[in-house]
Amino acid sequence: MWSGGIPAMSLVTDAFVSQIAAVEPWPENATLYQPLRSEQVLLSDNASCLAVQAFLRMCNLPVQVVCRANAEYMSPSGKVPFIHVGNQVVSELGPIVQFVKAKGHSLSDGLDEVQKAEMKAYMELVNNMLLTAELYIQWCDEATLEEITQPRYSSPYSWPLNSILVLQKKWEIKRKMKAIGWGAKSLRQVYEDVDQCCQALSQRLGTQPYFFNKQPTELDALVFGHLFTILTTQLTNDELREKVKNYSNLIAFCRRIEQNYFEDHDGSSSSSLRLPKGPALP
Amino acid sequence: MGTVHARSLDPLPMDGPDFGSGSDDGDLVEVEPQKKQEILENKDVVVQRVHFEGLGRTKDDLVMYEISDVFKARNLIEVMRKAHEAREKLLRLGIFRQVEVIVDTCQDDDALPNGLDVTFEVTELRRLTGSYNTMVGNNEGSMVLGLKLPNLFGRAEKMTFQFSYGTKETSYGLSFFKPQVGNFERNFCLNLYKVTGQFPWSSLRETDRGISTEINFPIWKTNHTLKWEGVWRELGCLSRTASFAIREESGHSLKSSLSHSMVIDSRNSTILPKRGALLKINQELAGYTGGDVSFLKEDFELQINKRLSWDSVLSTSLWGGMLVPIGDRPSSIADRFYLGGPTSVRGFSMYSIGPQSEGDYLGGEAYWAGGVHLYTPLPFRPGRGGFGDLFRTHFFLNAGNLCNLNYGEGPRAHIRRLAECIRWSYGAGIVLRLGNIARLELNYCIPMGVQNGDRICDGVQFGAGIRFL
Repeated sequence: MWSGGIPAMSLVTDAFVSQIAAVEPWPENATLYQPLRSEQVLLSDNASCLAVQAFLRMCNLPVQVVCRANAEYMSPSGKVPFIHVGNQVVSELGPIVQFVKAKGHSLSDGLDEVQKAEMKAYMELVNNMLLTAELYIQWCDEATLEEITQPRYSSPYSWPLNSILVLQKKWEIKRKMKAIGWGAKSLRQVYEDVDQCCQALSQRLGTQPYFFNKQPTELDALVFGHLFTILTTQLTNDELREKVKNYSNLIAFCRRIEQNYFEDHDGSSSSSLRLPKGPALP
Repeated sequence: MGTVHARSLDPLPMDGPDFGSGSDDGDLVEVEPQKKQEILENKDVVVQRVHFEGLGRTKDDLVMYEISDVFKARNLIEVMRKAHEAREKLLRLGIFRQVEVIVDTCQDDDALPNGLDVTFEVTELRRLTGSYNTMVGNNEGSMVLGLKLPNLFGRAEKMTFQFSYGTKETSYGLSFFKPQVGNFERNFCLNLYKVTGQFPWSSLRETDRGISTEINFPIWKTNHTLKWEGVWRELGCLSRTASFAIREESGHSLKSSLSHSMVIDSRNSTILPKRGALLKINQELAGYTGGDVSFLKEDFELQINKRLSWDSVLSTSLWGGMLVPIGDRPSSIADRFYLGGPTSVRGFSMYSIGPQSEGDYLGGEAYWAGGVHLYTPLPFRPGRGGFGDLFRTHFFLNAGNLCNLNYGEGPRAHIRRLAECIRWSYGAGIVLRLGNIARLELNYCIPMGVQNGDRICDGVQFGAGIRFL
């Protein structure tokens, strides 16, 4: 269900999106929907939402962020975030990038074919490693599940629906983990994977401001979404955060994007993004 | 002494829809005893014994209550009548396949000269009966399996299980029914179910998983039902192109509600009545017993039938309802009312009246609808006394309105809102009675008072319905 449905879905989405979207320019009232920020959103969802926000800000496309408890179910693919533009609804970063491109905005047009392929490979790496690790920690690590995931995920619902939905989601994720061979992994191995992923990203970034030198791309938005969320989210322990903190250029990269795209240029911070502070997130 | 066999009582159909016209009027079959050698008719008799043959798992106390009236009979005609009533009561329990009554003179040593024995020969239903069938509809095929355990513990309890496996959805229902011994109309019912509905007029898909318990009991001429229901409802868009208003309703909710309904039904038939009236009042209060949906819902249904000359019937109906959300959450699309369709306000498409968003109907929090019908037999009355009696022609005038109310405004403004933009229609058509449960209508309709956004069905409209205006 999980593994099979998505590629087919995005193919249809691509065709659908590129045909219709090109006609109209980006409207003023574009909206991004995500789960409730303070009491509901989980690490992985927050990372995805932040990545899309960063991407749209990099494209300089205004979007109003709306929090809904049922955002996950409103989304056509069942995953957050999704944007509502005109009468179009598009979910997740990949299709949103396509959609925005069809409207004439792109961050990766300046790249040559080799760079584009490289960018896609790194995006896959982030999705396969960081996103999966986040899901694993949220749903498969019992301590995190009990202390953080369960109360947050079930917060909008009353008994007994709250427990049912948590169980349903837990089984879904466990099935997915099994399907991709993560079922037998230990938490330690997952942290190792995160470390390796960060190492690869850190090496690729080197001393450049962004992954492809001067201009940010959707890869930068995606990496920022995940790393920033990991750095600022309080989990049951600090191990995940420490793994990322080992790479100073990645931290500087997160700060750079935060300063350039999430703070007003007159110096006052418009949003609540603050790197070293607690778990409050956009 | 003469022997009187009461086997001449016509056997009643056990269950299931009855397409014959016999039960249409539901009049009592008069028992006419045959004349035999000795005239017992006017003599006083005493029912000395009642025998049961064929009882297996059925408990004695259950049948004793049902036949106790037979002992009260004082002459033969009464014995026959009481025995017939007892037979009907036994059949109504739904635990016997067959019930036969034999009235005989008492043969025992202590027999009184005018003593009678009544023997009920019964055949119990099997412990487990099953059925399966296939259904096609809504771009979906499905297979329905049913299991029934009648008379589970010997006191007319019934357990039914239905499972439908479709190409798109599976649904199931498990229900347990327990009547009070000696008072079948007072009963208790427990249901467990999962149903999935697709509502194309709203581009909405709804999956309900729920549990409900209800108690039914009669008071004087009314039937009451008290019910508690806990439902986990999952709403979703039927297609990617569903309007955003529907998308916003997507997700899970839990409704826990207490409801009461009262029915007075003096009609002679539920589908094509010739006389009598129906009044149904429902009220539902959700939110005080848990869950995350809070509202108060009231609705009523009234139907009055009057027989005119030429075997024609004038029927008037009025429906109305109101939903008041409690607290600051707006009402859910799954709780609101819908109007329009081939058996409600005719001439409009199914549930396609009132508030809508991009062609998806959102339902309303208040509605009313009324109708006047003139039912007549088919012209030239083909198939009279048989198949033709399942059909009626009718001329109708329907009207109604569905809207949302602003509950700050007060009743006067509400009435004004409900009285403006009234949709109405008139026309004529043919009605076919399908058993005693549903009807099919083929009408020619002329919709009037159409508002912007309503979807109409101008001309021929065909449809089936259990509830009809």
